Amino acid sequence: MLTPTATDRISRWTPAIFACALGNFALAQALVAAGVRWAGVADLAAPTLAVVHLLTIGWITLLMFGALFQFVPVVTNSPLLSQRLSLGTLSFIELGLAGMVLGFFLLGSPLAALLPAGGSLVVIGILAGILNLAVPLARKRPLPLSARFIIAGLVLLFLTVSLGLAFALALTVPAAAQALGPMLANGVADHALAGLGGWFTLTAIGVSYELLPMFMLAPHERGAWGHAVFGTAILGFAAALLGGFESIKLFGQAAIGLAILLYLIDIARLYRDRKRRQIELHNQAAIGAFISLGIGLALALAAALSHGWTRAAPSLLFVVLFGWLSGLGLSQLYKIIPFLAWLARFGRRLGRGPVPRVQDLVNERSARYVFVAYFAAIAVGAAAAWLGLAPFLRGAIAVSLVATALLAREYRRAWRGHYAQTPRPAPVPGSPFHLPQP
Amino acid sequence: MREDAPLPTEASVREALHDVIDPELGFNIVDLGLVYDVNIDGRVVDVRMTMTTPGCPAQGFIVSGVEERLAQEEGITGVFVDVVWDPPWSPRMMSPVAKAHFRIREE
Repeated sequence: MLTPTATDRISRWTPAIFACALGNFALAQALVAAGVRWAGVADLAAPTLAVVHLLTIGWITLLMFGALFQFVPVVTNSPLLSQRLSLGTLSFIELGLAGMVLGFFLLGSPLAALLPAGGSLVVIGILAGILNLAVPLARKRPLPLSARFIIAGLVLLFLTVSLGLAFALALTVPAAAQALGPMLANGVADHALAGLGGWFTLTAIGVSYELLPMFMLAPHERGAWGHAVFGTAILGFAAALLGGFESIKLFGQAAIGLAILLYLIDIARLYRDRKRRQIELHNQAAIGAFISLGIGLALALAAALSHGWTRAAPSLLFVVLFGWLSGLGLSQLYKIIPFLAWLARFGRRLGRGPVPRVQDLVNERSARYVFVAYFAAIAVGAAAAWLGLAPFLRGAIAVSLVATALLAREYRRAWRGHYAQTPRPAPVPGSPFHLPQP
Repeated sequence: MREDAPLPTEASVREALHDVIDPELGFNIVDLGLVYDVNIDGRVVDVRMTMTTPGCPAQGFIVSGVEERLAQEEGITGVFVDVVWDPPWSPRMMSPVAKAHFRIREE
């Protein structure tokens, strides 16, 4: 008989959140493949803004929340504040995002008000998510390094969505545009930096510092190196976002770049020092994401040295969103979803008879080529974006869409126990997850 | 339970627990070094064990798996599982069999 604490570390809505996030990712890829222009921060048309927000809010933010709802209780050894709040986060973000996307496409018409209205719902969903995570994080003392990154990421998420809501108002309400205009002069760059560099990247760093050692049996303590990454990143974001002078902002951007460089070196050390010599596919595929982050760093450095942000922005945005964040997300889902499937289908059978391993729920041979195709498409897409070859970029994103769809099929097979050698069990009564059992 | 069933021993308990796996690592909890101590008082067994990581989402299932598996042993009438975090688990605690499986060099 399972005790009440047996499943209170399980995030019941995480599989449903992942499913919605993957749907949003596919929609964004399909829109670009169908002709919506991919552009940099200096040249953002309304349809492009719709796609960028489908990616950033609909895909990566939902993916992050789905992972954090499962991950923070593990790091803190403490349950979420409420499982229902997780559903609230999913519902408000999905509903609000639909309003935002429609609002972008209808800019200039009275229905453009859907943009700030949807944005408000997204903010409510995000605040619910932050509250849900803040309670277990507040209970944990001392805070592990990974949790510190996550807290910093959540603070920057709040800043990102606050700026975003101000933009939505300024774009659609003339009085708000007048009042907020001066404040928003540098807002686009801060919005992008706090979102892509802060919320996404700091959180991804925190999660990777916990998951990679766990799955590769590598040294968990990152020591002075890990703290140097954290301290440098925090200093960098404080200076880049709060510094009143251009020189302070530049210093901050340089510190953020240094923090990312230190992190990449630490990840290389982590892979080198792992005890588990033969690593699973999800950690092999994650190397493509880390390389993408390195390429993104090199692009940012080249842009900063040549004052060429306008030229670099499309490829930088592409390689960070598709290569680093999406690549890391897709690779880690290849482990997380089978693990959740094991909990749902086989956990209650442990000790009563043979059960498969988590690894038995996947077929690495068939997925390996899909990951290779995905990251090859990212390399081609990044080069095409840099060279301004729009048709090649669209083609690369179409290939990434096919790869994503094939990976989604593998996730679904893992969820259904398709590859399990033991007799496929019927849906378990009282499954801990709120996702329809096949 | 049969009245004449043999009393459990630490060896018989550990042998039975070879059937319980850590699902992520995919290896039995005894060779992984997760079972720290087995105490037997007549037909009642106390297992002191740990997880590979605190807050492991599979913890409840693994504890339940230990209880379920030992409940199948004829000579056991009661099972108590105590999950502890001190000392923290490390791959060094694995048996030579598990280390060979994961290709971990002996230190």
